[in-house]
Amino acid sequence: MEKVKESKYIIIIIMVMFIGGCSMIGFSKYPDIIHNDRQPLISVTYDYGEIEINIPLYYPRYKPDNIAFQVYADGDTIFPLLSVIENPLDQVSLFLPHGVLNLEDSTNILKIMPQDFDFRTLVVPFKGIVEGRIELPINTIDFKPLIVRGQVMLAKNDSTLKGVDLAIQIFPTTLAITKSGLDGFFELGIPGEFMKSNNIELVAGTNLIFKPFRQNLDFSKTKGIFQDVRIGPSKTMDEPLYITNKHNVHLRENPDIGSTTKFLLSKGESFSVKRTTRGELFGDVEVLLQDGKMVVFEGWVAREDLKLMEIKNIFLSGIDD
Amino acid sequence: MIKSKIIIVILFYVLKLENLFAQVSLSVNAIPRRVEVIMDGVSLGETPIRDFEISSGPHDFMLIKRGYASVDYSLIVNQSKSIKLDFFLNPIYKIKFTTEEKGLTFELNNNHQWTDKKIRLQLEAGDHLLRVYKRNKIVDEQTITADEPKHFKYFFKKKLSK
Repeated sequence: MEKVKESKYIIIIIMVMFIGGCSMIGFSKYPDIIHNDRQPLISVTYDYGEIEINIPLYYPRYKPDNIAFQVYADGDTIFPLLSVIENPLDQVSLFLPHGVLNLEDSTNILKIMPQDFDFRTLVVPFKGIVEGRIELPINTIDFKPLIVRGQVMLAKNDSTLKGVDLAIQIFPTTLAITKSGLDGFFELGIPGEFMKSNNIELVAGTNLIFKPFRQNLDFSKTKGIFQDVRIGPSKTMDEPLYITNKHNVHLRENPDIGSTTKFLLSKGESFSVKRTTRGELFGDVEVLLQDGKMVVFEGWVAREDLKLMEIKNIFLSGIDD
Repeated sequence: MIKSKIIIVILFYVLKLENLFAQVSLSVNAIPRRVEVIMDGVSLGETPIRDFEISSGPHDFMLIKRGYASVDYSLIVNQSKSIKLDFFLNPIYKIKFTTEEKGLTFELNNNHQWTDKKIRLQLEAGDHLLRVYKRNKIVDEQTITADEPKHFKYFFKKKLSK
């Protein structure tokens, strides 16, 4: 029985030696792992996505040779993130690196600048994204508008006139109309396609008792004109002042019947009376020449063709100055 | 009424912060396989980890696997579409160390000391500085390179033999 027990112990010892190995016998174990602070190999790789901005463009008339595009972030207009020049395509795509746009508001700006003086520059604000695609609305590439600005004044005393009708015309078509505002200021705009027209005319004062003011506008070298409108008799016209009450009024050299007619006056022409007879009045009329110069002519006009001017109420429709 | 206002204010700030720290797709890989990844104290699972959304900004990573030295790694994650981290962990080798010399004290890396003549050690792969003392005086200095499970035999002032 004891021999059986001994043989069991021997088998167990042999098993332990077999599993653990002979070399384990007598080895102690150090409790901690011993590090050497060797830096592990670490690789960090970023994938920075991109932002694609798609800009559909519409050309209603002509195409410029090239178009420059600039993208600004966060309301900045000095340092563009991107500046490229493209052909005038129907759709232009711009690519920006990931995360450069402002995400909060529409403070990012796309500037579309046709490389032609006659075309207008567009500024398109848009909201940014971290990465992905931005589809902008269609932008129209067109000529710069032609603008005329100025102030309407009564020539007699330089007082400003509010509510005076103004129009830009290419006879017989009226392109734009407005009325003078506070302090007589006005602004009128017409499409840039008329820039080469040489018969554009500013017409002012059709709602006044005076002959309307007419002035040719030359937009061939500029997109904006400042044109003051001085309407009615000038300061040099002495009182009493009369006004012609119909078209084709004869301005004659002498008061007698059969006297030569110098030229015909339109309705609303101012007439500064110097001398009178029973049926005729002698005085001066002012004629505005094409080049803007005012010339004074004197002559005789029939009394029934004139009426005394009331400077206090110069509006035909009853609008008071 | 006041509660709803507070909730609106909180939502506003949460949404603003979310915009401020946009999400970045995180992928983690490691050699060896199946390493546990802990980010900012929270386990993300075992490698490979794919397309886990994290915010940009600072993060602390810890990688743990039995039989390998753990890795602590702090990183400021840039605002980007995705970030991929690859780790190569150092293995821990089982080393046997024996000597017949008497009265010696052994020290590894200025830190771990023993006097046993036969000892089993767990060493991170790479070089380790072995310093031998006798009566508190340095009598020998050698470098142990652990690059596989080994049995080192030490003889006084002789290069370690396998």
